[in-house]
Amino acid sequence: MNHRRLIAIAALVLGASLLAASCGGSSSSGGASSGGSIKGQTITVMVPYAMPQKLLDEFTAQTGVKVNYQRLGWDATHNKLVVANTAKEYIADVAEFDWSFTGQFSGAKWVEPLDTVLPKPLLNNLKNTDAAFSADGHTWAACYSNDFRVSMYNKKMFAKAGITSFPATFDELATDVQKLKASGVQYPLAIPMGATEGGVTPWYLLTLAMGGQLFDNNLKPQFQSPSSSGYKALQWEVNAVKNGWVSPGAVSMDDTPAFDKFTAGQNAIVLATGPGNMPTANDPKQSSIAGQAALGLVPGNSGPGASFGLPEGLSIPVTAQHKAAAAAFIEWWEQPKNAIAIYHTQGSLPCGADALKQLSDSGQLQGGDVVTAELPHVGPLFPSGAPIWYEQFSSDAQGLLNAAVKGQMSVGDALNQLASKAAARTQ
Amino acid sequence: MRLRRNREGDRSARETQILGWLFVAPAIVAVGTLILYPLVTGFKESIRSGGILFGEKPGYVGLRNYRDVLHDPTSQSAMRHTVEYVVLAVSLEIALGIAVAVTLHRVFRGRGFVLAVLILPWALPSVVSGVLWRRVFDPDTGLLNSVLLQLHVISQPHIWLAGGHSAILFITIVHVWGVLPLISLIFLAGLQSIPDEVYSASAVDGATPWKQFRHVTLPLLRPSIAIALTVGTLLAISIFDEIYVLNGTALNTRSILIQVYNTTFTEADFAHGTALAFLLAAVTAVFGALYALALRRSTV
Repeated sequence: MNHRRLIAIAALVLGASLLAASCGGSSSSGGASSGGSIKGQTITVMVPYAMPQKLLDEFTAQTGVKVNYQRLGWDATHNKLVVANTAKEYIADVAEFDWSFTGQFSGAKWVEPLDTVLPKPLLNNLKNTDAAFSADGHTWAACYSNDFRVSMYNKKMFAKAGITSFPATFDELATDVQKLKASGVQYPLAIPMGATEGGVTPWYLLTLAMGGQLFDNNLKPQFQSPSSSGYKALQWEVNAVKNGWVSPGAVSMDDTPAFDKFTAGQNAIVLATGPGNMPTANDPKQSSIAGQAALGLVPGNSGPGASFGLPEGLSIPVTAQHKAAAAAFIEWWEQPKNAIAIYHTQGSLPCGADALKQLSDSGQLQGGDVVTAELPHVGPLFPSGAPIWYEQFSSDAQGLLNAAVKGQMSVGDALNQLASKAAARTQ
Repeated sequence: MRLRRNREGDRSARETQILGWLFVAPAIVAVGTLILYPLVTGFKESIRSGGILFGEKPGYVGLRNYRDVLHDPTSQSAMRHTVEYVVLAVSLEIALGIAVAVTLHRVFRGRGFVLAVLILPWALPSVVSGVLWRRVFDPDTGLLNSVLLQLHVISQPHIWLAGGHSAILFITIVHVWGVLPLISLIFLAGLQSIPDEVYSASAVDGATPWKQFRHVTLPLLRPSIAIALTVGTLLAISIFDEIYVLNGTALNTRSILIQVYNTTFTEADFAHGTALAFLLAAVTAVFGALYALALRRSTV
């Protein structure tokens, strides 16, 4: 083979490799929808909960928009969104938006404000949960999961232990836990305490239920003093481990496995769960305690304690390719008929006032009386919205609280470190 | 005539040079696109401020992020843990690897089967081996607690991964379980390259098996030891899956790579995350260079 022929072949190989490299490196345009017909478009929806294909097919039949539904775990969804948004790359047309994202995602302008995209009546219908997704005078997400913390218990285990009602105070809870242990429930409480977001949520709830707050209005930490509710709440968790109220494995457990243990009949009480978990706990296909699960008001110092909301919403990332189709999908989800159908299949309690009323009126809302009674005690964890540094605070809390419940660090040391890190973030 | 021949010679040399560059070009493009570009972009990220998410003006901050992570107590403890993982893992892998290789070097019945079984843990992804070992260490349903409770060695379930050094030791065992087959095979290959005549000659000189091992086998295994040290160290420095599956991001077992993950993806702090990643890469490169040097010396 002569040199010229070899050079020609080599040039061809180089050209092919350059082409391959350029194809691999190409990115989506990320441009907005042209504003024309959305029919025939395919949108990607990234939400951490299951969605029946039948419902998605109905949406496609109505709008002509196909849906590529991507279901990932909550943490994986969050991390993928953070990476894609930081790189300003397309990831989805409709994306999960947790209450804890509000400060970070709106501050970085990673999502479109929805008040200019969605119809006013729809947003008015979501007024109750709107505050969790509002910042800088805009609404950044449409709530689809009206989640707040409430307790759940096993009626059969309670009856066997001779307990007639769910404890209203922490003193009553302590007494009932002893009765449950005496009746043969080895570990009465299911409380996740692993170094995860789900592992710190019970501490947030206990802090509020014991009458305190995590931060004051100026975002100054309020949990270092031994007399503070935050301190008492963590000490209560440490004691729950020491006294065998929770299983030893709770210290490395996330919320989903903890709930699974409850539905497997291993624990009698889930202190902090969502009302949307009721259909799962009482579904014979998903639970071995079907028909025995009931909701209870979160205990407090002298009566039902405070709770907080953790609503989840749907957002449109600024990098979405089909924004009009994405808005149509959010509108479709929020319709009472669809929101109720989704509640029955994956447990996300609807946020829209109309859907909630229909659920309640038709008697389809499981534990509806407790849900109604709990709502007046529910407030936001951060009254002025989740701060921009919430993710860093949560990450610090996950490691430090976990070290305290494992006995590697004292409660005081863990909370002092957490407070100094939080104070540094607010400066 | 001579001038024409010279001209043809020059053209041929130039064409050979061009041809050489064209052949190398795909590799240059691939390395540039997949290695150099991310490295430069990553380094630029590591010397920038956190930006609006951290209440800062976007811009370059020099080596501030590097100073921050070096002074951060959580990163410091992650560094200490990583050193513990590396020292423990490499020591165990070298000692056990040589022992396994020496055993398998002998011809015995079923040797082929043992070799095939030995490779299995290496074939498993580290996430899968983490999940398998979780069934051993789980405080509620784990095999270890179950057996010890049955034997009345312990009266209460023990939380195996709650301690400091002990938790690191347990996770190291899981890591070594996965890497040991590879290290053993490296040593086995080294043993098989030692000529039998060397052993015969030393036997004639009256060397006992221990002396043969000490003065023949070990010195001749030096190239394999250098390779095993390199592979073992690099794998232990980048330990992630086993820790994440067994104990999540808990502080008592957090390695540098877990800290990089947490800082970058959970906290969305790309500036400090990439700074920490670059420090880790620098340490890894130093280890790699040292071992490469040792390997060169032992083989020259």
